[in-house]
Amino acid sequence: MQLSISRYNPELDAKPYMQDYAIEIGPSDHMLLDVLIRLKRQDNTITLRKSCREGVCGSDAMNINGRNGLACVTRIATLKQPVVLRPLPGFPIIRDLVVDMTGFFKQYHSISPYLVNDEPPPETERLQSPAERDKLNGAYECILCACCSSQCPSYWWNPDKFVGPAGLIQAYRFIADSRDRATDHRLDDLKDVYRLFRCRTIMNCSEVCPKGLEPSHAIEKIRLRMMDVQVHGGLPTHSTSSAGLENKS
Amino acid sequence: MNRKLAGLPSWFLQRVGAVFMLLFVLFFLVYFLLYPLHSYVEWRAWVARPAMSIALFAFFAALLSHMWVGLRDVLFDYVRPASLRPMLSGLLSIGMAGIGAWLAWILLRAQM
Repeated sequence: MQLSISRYNPELDAKPYMQDYAIEIGPSDHMLLDVLIRLKRQDNTITLRKSCREGVCGSDAMNINGRNGLACVTRIATLKQPVVLRPLPGFPIIRDLVVDMTGFFKQYHSISPYLVNDEPPPETERLQSPAERDKLNGAYECILCACCSSQCPSYWWNPDKFVGPAGLIQAYRFIADSRDRATDHRLDDLKDVYRLFRCRTIMNCSEVCPKGLEPSHAIEKIRLRMMDVQVHGGLPTHSTSSAGLENKS
Repeated sequence: MNRKLAGLPSWFLQRVGAVFMLLFVLFFLVYFLLYPLHSYVEWRAWVARPAMSIALFAFFAALLSHMWVGLRDVLFDYVRPASLRPMLSGLLSIGMAGIGAWLAWILLRAQM
């Protein structure tokens, strides 16, 4: 298998460069991360993040043939070779495929990603009806891998001011939660010209989400809520099975 | 208006303006297909009708506000350093208001 990987060591390199690799894939290698782990045995200077290896932790997000995705859920059979791997675009590079996500998580924390409810807690848990719970579908599944925000041009231009699609789908998850009591404050917090309204509905976020979520619809529903339009049901989702296939041509 | 809340009204204004302009252009096309105007005198009389002057002013107000939001978005997206954006946005607002005042003057003169 042919790979071309972006390399950068801040102690040695002035700027990132591409390094080509050829590797024999093993019988148990199905996903791109399997190949990268095998490659790291050959060249242990290659640096990348990984953890769960099953698309839950979001650690191994990277740019794969020009499109953001998770290496652990990207089938190698679907990839055009040489497979070009770069770090997530728009984020400062720490080393090789590892980026600095400080700004990303700062935006995430800015939307108060927790339930706000000062009412006395009931004896058991705070209950929701099935319809109320359905409103969280398509939002709570976000794993904060940053594939969406890193593929969003609006986030590239104003990463310190625009919350970005990942933060906004999380904001919607709490705006839509029937147990939360800070809805008005959450909506007011997003009404300035930057935090939500830098979104130009380019929809790269929905296109690349490895979980098939659609942050662009979350942003649309937040706008509707700002205009006092009630929204029903959860967010739409889409299959991710074809996403990898589009890489092959 | 509280600057912190300025995103929603401008976004809404741009969309409402777009719908109004679309409807006005459709009306404009259908009207001229049914009642074509052939001379400057006929045009001037058509524009001088108070209802038409108001409708034309509303159309250009929608156009200018649509332009203002769009150009302001370009400034807010791309201008570096960001501290220049409020000043440039202010200049843009003044320019748009000037064009609007000029248009109002033209429509008022048509009434005379």
